[in-house]
Amino acid sequence: MVMMLPFLTGLAAVWFGMLGKRRPCVTFWLLTLAIFAAWCQYHMTSPLALSF
Amino acid sequence: MIFSSNPARGSRILNGLALLGVTAVLGMAFFWQFAYGELPCPLCLLQRAALIMAGVGFLLNLRLGPSPMHYAMSIAAALGGMLASGRQVLLHIAPDDPGYGAPLLGLHFYTWSFIAFVAIIVFCAVMLSADRKWGDSMLKKPVSALGVLVMALFFVATLANVGSTTLECGFGPCPDDPAGYLLLDSAAPR
Repeated sequence: MVMMLPFLTGLAAVWFGMLGKRRPCVTFWLLTLAIFAAWCQYHMTSPLALSF
Repeated sequence: MIFSSNPARGSRILNGLALLGVTAVLGMAFFWQFAYGELPCPLCLLQRAALIMAGVGFLLNLRLGPSPMHYAMSIAAALGGMLASGRQVLLHIAPDDPGYGAPLLGLHFYTWSFIAFVAIIVFCAVMLSADRKWGDSMLKKPVSALGVLVMALFFVATLANVGSTTLECGFGPCPDDPAGYLLLDSAAPR
C-alpha cells in the first residue's frame, strides 16, 4: 500500500488536464479513483468506537 | 452546435473560481500542517486526494468547456471525500473525544472537509441545471492569463502534496497516528 500513489496519478491527471488532453487525463483520474477506493477499504474497516 | 470563439465563458469563469476554492482549501491544509506541525493522518490524506480529483473535473470544465462528464467526475470525487471525512467525523463523535488536530473556528478539519464536499456537490447540481446548452466537446478553449494562473496554482498544490506525502509516508502505508516525516527521519544521522 503506497500512500503517495493516488497523489502521483492525480498529478498526472492534473498535468494532462492542463494540456487539454482529456483521454489521458480521465484515464489517470479513473486510476486515482480506483487506488482511492482500495486505500479507503484498507483504512476504513476497523470498528468505530460507538456503542448504541 | 453552438459557434462561438469563446463558448460558455461565464460557466468556465465559475468553474475557475471553484478550482481556486479547491486550491485554497489544499493550501490552507498545507499551511496548517507546517505552521502548527500537525501531520495529516491517512484519512486526512485520502480527503486531500478526493479534493484533487474533484478539482480535475473543474479543471477540465475550465480548459475544454463544461460537460456533464466533468461535473460527474467532481461529484464522484466529492462522494468519495464525504465517505472519508464522514468516517473520520464518526471516529471522533463520542463524548469527551478531543478529535484529531487543532480545530479551526470551532470545527475540526475533517468536519470542514465534509462541508466542502457537500458544497462541491451543491455547486455541481446548480451548474448542471444551468449549463445545459453546451453539450460535450474535447476541443481546447482559450484560457485567460488568470485562468492559467489558477490551473498552475492547482498543479503546484498537487505537486506539493506528492512531495509532502512521500516525505511523510515514504513508499509504503502511512501510520494511523503519524509522529514525523518517515523519509527525513530515516535520512537523519544517528
